[in-house]
Amino acid sequence: MNMLEIENISKRFGDKSVIKDLSLSVPNNCIFGFVGQNGAGKTTTMKMILGLLSVDSGQIYVHGEKVEYGQNRTNQYCGYLPDVPEFYNFMNAKEYLKFCADITEMQPSESKARSEMLLELVGLDKEKHRIGGYSRGMKQRLGIAQALLNQPKLLICDEPTSALDPIGRKEILDILITAKSQTTVLFSTHILSDVDRISDRIALLHGGKVVFSGNKDDLRRRKPAVGFEVELENPGAVDAILRLHTHAKRLDTLRVVFDTATEEQMHQAISLLIQEKIPFRKVEKSEYTLESMFMEVVGK
Amino acid sequence: MKSLIAFSKKEALEWWRSGRLAILVVVFALFGIMNPAFAKLTPWLMESMSESLEKSGIVIKEIRVDALTSWEQFYKNIPIAMMVFILMVSGSFTTEIQKGTFILVLTKGLSRWKVYIAKTFGMLLVWTAAYWICFGITYIYNDFYWDNSVAAHPVLAAAFVYFFGVWLTVMVPVFSAILSNAIAVSIGTGSLVIISYVLGMLPKIKDNVPTFLMGSQSLLVRAGVPEDYYPAIAVTAILVLVSFGLGWVMFDRRRL
Repeated sequence: MNMLEIENISKRFGDKSVIKDLSLSVPNNCIFGFVGQNGAGKTTTMKMILGLLSVDSGQIYVHGEKVEYGQNRTNQYCGYLPDVPEFYNFMNAKEYLKFCADITEMQPSESKARSEMLLELVGLDKEKHRIGGYSRGMKQRLGIAQALLNQPKLLICDEPTSALDPIGRKEILDILITAKSQTTVLFSTHILSDVDRISDRIALLHGGKVVFSGNKDDLRRRKPAVGFEVELENPGAVDAILRLHTHAKRLDTLRVVFDTATEEQMHQAISLLIQEKIPFRKVEKSEYTLESMFMEVVGK
Repeated sequence: MKSLIAFSKKEALEWWRSGRLAILVVVFALFGIMNPAFAKLTPWLMESMSESLEKSGIVIKEIRVDALTSWEQFYKNIPIAMMVFILMVSGSFTTEIQKGTFILVLTKGLSRWKVYIAKTFGMLLVWTAAYWICFGITYIYNDFYWDNSVAAHPVLAAAFVYFFGVWLTVMVPVFSAILSNAIAVSIGTGSLVIISYVLGMLPKIKDNVPTFLMGSQSLLVRAGVPEDYYPAIAVTAILVLVSFGLGWVMFDRRRL
């Protein structure tokens, strides 16, 4: 059974169609990257999974149970971190987690142990001040702690790293990797390097539709001809190689690039370099980035 | 039940730490003190003004004040205190909706009705405490300086005004379910009072509208009997129940 099943959902706001016939499956115990540009419909989809927004058509199932708008039954399986988590500023982190434990009717002993463990995990165990004075990063970390408090089967994080500095981003991603052993993580983002770093599977959302869903390797396999780059010893060698290969392009004084060349073409080029005794430092296969794949999939 | 208590405790903590509870108690206590204080100061005020009034042809003879003078002030001041209360509670729901603090609470599986109950009863509890503190202070001072027995049904008359406040309080969640901010909720609640006053101008229904309860001071001077207010009490009680139910259903469907 998949942790999350989305079947042909659609959503309109007035005359604007935000989600169009979107279907998605998130398997158990994986980190699922939900990628899309701003305005692609990521937050809307997440709010529908949490029953905070109604669907116009289609169904959503969390842990096999149907999500119903306004009712929060399926939310017992979910932990949610919004893009900008807002807390009660008059409480401190410990009080807030105690409050969260109480509204979910957790046993006092368990509540105390989980709160202490999670505050330590997110680095807020020494923090005594009220939440009103917290930085964005601290709020995000507290957001993860509250989302993990009830040991949810599905952790939903909406753009958890988008407003953080590199250190803050790394901290949050590390926490998500740690959380993977206990839960399924669905996180939305437009930062592709974050997806590349931590997610097992990804879905690309564009114009309210899923344009790709699968694992990262599946996406990479869509583009076998990745090209390669040659770095030469001297500028004269660059001229020599450009004479031999008309489809090669000069990158700078010492480097040429072979766009969209296959692996076989790369081997032939290396043989020719040796045969013609053209001095070179290295031949490097171009890495096809997730970003360029995303651009290609969405047709830009 | 534990989750309802937990959210109610959070409400109580918020009332306390935000200072709203202290402000309301101080405001209502001040009003409670002002009523007898004004009555006590009236002879002195009139005396100090008598010379200038005499010049304009107004001769002041003996000024008599008693508990009724103080109660008159109570009924003049309580609408202002009520307004302060509504302004203070009007953001109770909308501020949380605007900020997004409900999101985390509701996505943890807390039922919306528990949030609704905790907030609405919290407001009603504060209204009850603040109102009767104001009444109690005036009553004690009146008894100390004069004699409350000159006024008929002082508690019952005050209870009618209190009940009008209960209706306005339960309207706050109703307006919060359709309006987006505290000011709009205050205006919405205020406009209900105006509508009730306007309807009160129609001779056929003038004794049945909720605002009729605001004139309950006529009981003190025996210009009316409690039975005169029963139709308005019945109408207001129905409105309280309908508004409470309406708020419940509407908050359940409110987009967050």
